[in-house]
Amino acid sequence: MRKNLKARIALLLGILMLLPMLYACGGKTASDEAGESKKLKVALVLPGKKDDVSFNQAMYEGVSAYAAAHTDTVDLKIVENVYEVADIEPALSDFADQGYDVIFGHGFQFMEPLVNVADKFPESYFLLGTGYMFRKNSAIYDVALESGGYLMGVIAALASETGKIGVIGGADASEMVRGHAGYRMGAESVNPNIEIQEIYTGDWNDTAAAYEAAVGMYDSGVDVIWHSGDGIGLGVVQAAVDKDKYVLGNVQDQKSLGEKNVLSGIQYHWEAVIDQIFKDIASGAFLNLEDDARIYWITIANGGMEYTPINDTKGKLTQDELKTIEEAYQKLKNDEITWPAWN
Amino acid sequence: MLEKIFTTGFFVSLLASTIRLATPIMVPALGQIYTQRAGILNLGVEGTMLMGAVTGFAVACLTGSLWLGLLCGMLTGMLWSAIMAWLSITMKANQVIAGLGMNILGAGLAAYIYRVIFGVQSLPPAITAFQSISVPGLSDIPILGAVFFQHNALVYLGFLLLPLNWFILEKTTFGLKIKAVGEHPRAADSKGVSVAGVRYAAVLIGGLYAGAAGAFMTIAYLNTFTEAVIGGRGYIAVAVVIFARFLPVRAMWGALLFGFASALQMRLQALGVAIANQLMLMLPYIMTIIALVFASNKAEFPSAYTIPYSRMER
Repeated sequence: MRKNLKARIALLLGILMLLPMLYACGGKTASDEAGESKKLKVALVLPGKKDDVSFNQAMYEGVSAYAAAHTDTVDLKIVENVYEVADIEPALSDFADQGYDVIFGHGFQFMEPLVNVADKFPESYFLLGTGYMFRKNSAIYDVALESGGYLMGVIAALASETGKIGVIGGADASEMVRGHAGYRMGAESVNPNIEIQEIYTGDWNDTAAAYEAAVGMYDSGVDVIWHSGDGIGLGVVQAAVDKDKYVLGNVQDQKSLGEKNVLSGIQYHWEAVIDQIFKDIASGAFLNLEDDARIYWITIANGGMEYTPINDTKGKLTQDELKTIEEAYQKLKNDEITWPAWN
Repeated sequence: MLEKIFTTGFFVSLLASTIRLATPIMVPALGQIYTQRAGILNLGVEGTMLMGAVTGFAVACLTGSLWLGLLCGMLTGMLWSAIMAWLSITMKANQVIAGLGMNILGAGLAAYIYRVIFGVQSLPPAITAFQSISVPGLSDIPILGAVFFQHNALVYLGFLLLPLNWFILEKTTFGLKIKAVGEHPRAADSKGVSVAGVRYAAVLIGGLYAGAAGAFMTIAYLNTFTEAVIGGRGYIAVAVVIFARFLPVRAMWGALLFGFASALQMRLQALGVAIANQLMLMLPYIMTIIALVFASNKAEFPSAYTIPYSRMER
């Protein structure tokens, strides 16, 4: 019995390792025969679920909306949950191999696999969701979260009575750090002495940890929190409802999750850059983009972000303060704020 | 500076949070004490909790009854662990691998069930979760009231499981049988105890507790289901059992320790303590590992731990 144990463990381990591979293959065997026509074949590879109420869903909805508006010219294929870096390169090459014309890798962890695959398949176009590396046939789309964060900072600082506001993020990835820095700038532009608490939960999806983080902040006197996204946002909104305090959303309008407590939030519109990307591909401009034009930003200035209607159920904002918010928004719209150099 | 941070409010908030965070770890750990005492290591707790979480939420959402959701979550946990019991007891599969396999399966299946029932929505469905109940009289005690007596019903029930666990293990024949099949299945068998039967029961009880803890996450702690709602708490629970040397009261302390470290690191981050957030996030895990190192030195594992029993083999 004991002797067999090692052999059995080895065998079972082998089977275990095969399982995810089978799983990964299953999702993308369906190569469309119809794709032989002149339609542009587009693949969107998501690291998470398309209904994560956040990062993945916003892009899923943006690309789907584009495909739905161009059904006769675009053929869209979506795969979800390609999260592990080891799975990414095979998934991307597979699509390129099947003759997909435009391939989106939605996330920072796609960066290196994506540029590798872009080198091997010069006929396809590749788009990377956040990052900094690119090739001739690839570009990046990213969110200038600092502008959205700035606006949220202004709103939070104006709505706060205690002079304490908070911000909760998943992990300190580049756009989050910029977003949180923008939040500070915005808040301090209104009240230079404001106290700003900041927590990273270390995980994009641990809703319960985010709930606890928010409860801790509210207990210590914070009365407005902005969360910078993903599944954790749900926990922050719930804490706001439980403690009856204000929360500011991100990515999607979250008012329905807390009618009385969601003060406002950022709404992303990836459509703003998706249209431009497809235009550039169609016109051939894509291959000749300047290096510094290879990042398609969604910003408040280009309509990629806006704020959801102020829902001030507690009556904390005066007419003047609402005007200040609108002014800050207009400033961002006209791109009048100077940002520090990000690194 | 220090007196500004360490106010009474800070400690009340910290300790209340500790108790909330500890509950979904302590409950599955108490269940696993039965399972592990009977000689079965069920690493599939994480998957079992996730199955309980999705069923509990779906039932509560569709029927509007939180208690029915809890019940269905518990039953699902039991059913799910029945597969593990069959693999490890009847099929005599390697328990580590079977448990890990059950987690992978559970993660996929729970997400699938959720998508089938609720589809893709722009905002997730939410329910009204168990509200916190202020225990009359006790909740008005300054400080202690806010820490101990303003939680939701399931937190209180979770802590009531503690004496129940102790009683069953130490004062009933069933408890004795569980320990017997874990220590010396052959001796138990020769006394007419059904080793397989007792082990099945022990695994199913473990599943029941894990299912309850899973449902707790989606209908009491939070009010919505996400794929990562369990977030590793099932694995921590298994570690806590070993840390606790299979004793219920120590399992409670283990869960509270982890909860305390989690709650503390978040508050220190919020206050802007000059330590990188990555290091702060490691705090609960580091504390658990240190505790584990000291405790498992002395841990006396059941003699037949993870060894399948067969009457024919010697």
